[in-house]
Amino acid sequence: MSEAREAGGWEPKIVAFLCNWCSYAGADLAGVSRLQYPTNVRIIRVPCSGRIDPLYIVRALQEGMDGVLVSGCHPGDCHYISGNLVARRKFALLKSYLDYLGIEPGRVQFSWVSASEGSRFAALIEKVVEDVRALGPATKMVKTPVGVQAAGAAPVGAK
Amino acid sequence: MSQVETKLRETIKELLDRGEVDLVVGHEAGSLPLRSRPVFIRDAADVDRLVWGSTCSNNLATHLPRLFVRPKNSRAEYAPPTVGIVAKGCDARSVLGLVKEHQLPRDKVVIIGVPCAGMIDIRKAEESLDGARIIAAQEEAGTFKVETTAGEKVLTLAEMLADGCAECSHPTAPEADVVIEGDARPAAGERYLQVEAFEAMTAEERWDHFTSEISRCIRCYACRQVCPNCYCVTCFADQTKPRWIGAADELSDLMAFHIGRIFHQAGRCVECDACVRACPMDIDLRVFTQKLPKDVEALYGYVAGVSAEGVPALLTFSENDDQGFISEP
Amino acid sequence: MKRGKIDKADLGKLLVAVSETAQCAGPVADRVGVKLEMLSADSALELAYDNFALSPKLWFFPRSEVIASGTGDALETTLLPEGETVLFGLRPCDAAALELLDKIFLDEAYLDPYYKNRRQNTTVVALACNEPDAACFCTSVGGGPGAGAGADVIAFDLGDALLFEALTDKGKALLTQHEKLLNAPTGDDDAAKTKVIADAGAKLKPVKTDGLADKLSGLFDAPVWEVIGERCVGCGTCTYLCPTCHCFGIYDEKAGEQVQRIRTQDACMFPQFTLEASGHNPRDTQGVRARQRVMHKFSYTVDNVGETFCVGCGRCVVHCPVNIDIREILEEVAA
Repeated sequence: MSEAREAGGWEPKIVAFLCNWCSYAGADLAGVSRLQYPTNVRIIRVPCSGRIDPLYIVRALQEGMDGVLVSGCHPGDCHYISGNLVARRKFALLKSYLDYLGIEPGRVQFSWVSASEGSRFAALIEKVVEDVRALGPATKMVKTPVGVQAAGAAPVGAK
Repeated sequence: MSQVETKLRETIKELLDRGEVDLVVGHEAGSLPLRSRPVFIRDAADVDRLVWGSTCSNNLATHLPRLFVRPKNSRAEYAPPTVGIVAKGCDARSVLGLVKEHQLPRDKVVIIGVPCAGMIDIRKAEESLDGARIIAAQEEAGTFKVETTAGEKVLTLAEMLADGCAECSHPTAPEADVVIEGDARPAAGERYLQVEAFEAMTAEERWDHFTSEISRCIRCYACRQVCPNCYCVTCFADQTKPRWIGAADELSDLMAFHIGRIFHQAGRCVECDACVRACPMDIDLRVFTQKLPKDVEALYGYVAGVSAEGVPALLTFSENDDQGFISEP
Repeated sequence: MKRGKIDKADLGKLLVAVSETAQCAGPVADRVGVKLEMLSADSALELAYDNFALSPKLWFFPRSEVIASGTGDALETTLLPEGETVLFGLRPCDAAALELLDKIFLDEAYLDPYYKNRRQNTTVVALACNEPDAACFCTSVGGGPGAGAGADVIAFDLGDALLFEALTDKGKALLTQHEKLLNAPTGDDDAAKTKVIADAGAKLKPVKTDGLADKLSGLFDAPVWEVIGERCVGCGTCTYLCPTCHCFGIYDEKAGEQVQRIRTQDACMFPQFTLEASGHNPRDTQGVRARQRVMHKFSYTVDNVGETFCVGCGRCVVHCPVNIDIREILEEVAA
């Protein structure tokens, strides 16, 4: 239990998109094995890491998630043969692009976890949570509630 | 009138007379100084409207897919037209990219390759005049005689060259059915300099630039509509199920739109800068659109639109693709 | 006070005085061009500009605004912004556009409370044009470089000084409020003003517009529309930049626990503008959409409210990515 939580402070909110066949099963194995890992993560199960549209990640950041993790089968082990291999290119480019725009690299992370890697999954979550904790609450892509529009041309949320 | 322009008109007249094309998409003089615009020539008598020079910056490929749409509710046999396109390197690359994505039938498109010396950036012309306004302009072999409210001035192509053209990798069509000979600019030796300069900035500086530029966006979608690659019947930005981008003018939604649109170009963008020119708010889009072509070339050795064969970079994979970005616990 | 003059060097002082009782917006240098922005103590005021890229209609009809919000079953109309605003620097074309928009938004039968509130709380100080732009054609659509329609005060740039003339009671009140900072104009000033406006008017290229509305009504099925449509890419640039275009869409969206009803500007040039839930689109070619825009501005509004909805600002001409020129379309029609 982190000191911050005991003190009632901010806790990172992480969303993890896990592929059904490997990573989600790996997470399940971690649970069944009673391995402790931080509860900051909310898991969303997808059929394959190749299903991940970059817009999911952008949307998660907009909705206020402090960190996003995407995990799939190891290359060569994809249940659908090549879903994760095509995804690998998408993820590499997306990570590079978000970093280029100035979004902190630690917030969006990608990994491979197999169905038998329960402890690897737990360790991965530990790592991601600590990386995001060090970065503080996310502010950059967060959607600002639209209120009564002040006159003028600037969009809501602009400085 | 330049030799290339004369040859272009003659060639297109022949193509139309011989019935080898049903129509040709080219450039004609615009209604404002230093502007030209797309023209659709169906009659050989109209070929004198065609021009060629350093104001012909529009990417004409964006007009092609619509010409091949089957008419609705028509019981007649559909016969697609044969369409000629006056193509600089970037136009031709867009055509080849569209053929690769099955949006255009290659055998029905006649690529008329023209030699591109580079295009002017009108904003650079305006900025060099210290507040004086342009009344008229005449182009001749790389120089422009510009009549302004403060007298006549001569501006060179080199002074006004668009940033995209300075870093152009393909001034002429990589594949053309008809070639108009002439002097094209050489392919740039150094490319992606603007991207590299941006990469050298700190994350906060980059984020500040991104947010301040994108906050100018008015969601007119000019960038999307002029791009030949944006041909989706319903763009993600207009989808309601799910609603990716909200209706309100909200900064993170504006950013999400641009990130989404630009990322959809990964492995497809031919760096024609049509989006940059189209933006009525002068958003510095180029520094955001050029990062992905640079990465795709560096990571996967793929350049968009140089051939109609092969698979687009993001539809395939290699066993050895870069994995440096993977988190290891 | 009906008329007053101020040296340009003292303009800053005047705007500071105005800002004490009202929010004041004026022309400020932007990264590219000049924009209309709320002034602060260190704003870099700029008087040498053609026009703002974005039309000032945004100050009365924003790109998006929340018009109602609530939870559960009931939506409440949102509170409207209060406080006085003074807008300085609108070109006569943009000010005239406000008068046209009033005919739509202030029509008693369909009164728009959001527009009305902003309009009532705003004093418009126009700035007459000394130098028209290549694409300007205000005199061909009933306007002029020194015309005062839609403005409360109009200012004339005489070189070293600005000459203000009040056109409405609101305008008179504004000048009276600050009369200590203004001097009486002289006969020379009036002569200078007349010359500046005449010179500007002479530089404008006229566009033939006689009998336009009538001729247009007979051209519904003419082939000219598909020719325009072939080139048009279907973006919203012309519509969004236009000072008189006023179509809007209304969307309900979730914001946390609340539902918000948001009104946004919309453009008839978008394919989705008339897309019906069934999938049918009554305006399914770009030519038909282009026809709609031209007809609406030059024919239907003449029928409905007796006015042409174009002020000749030229923004659509300058910014259209494919250089569709409304002046050419009008000349072809009027021929």
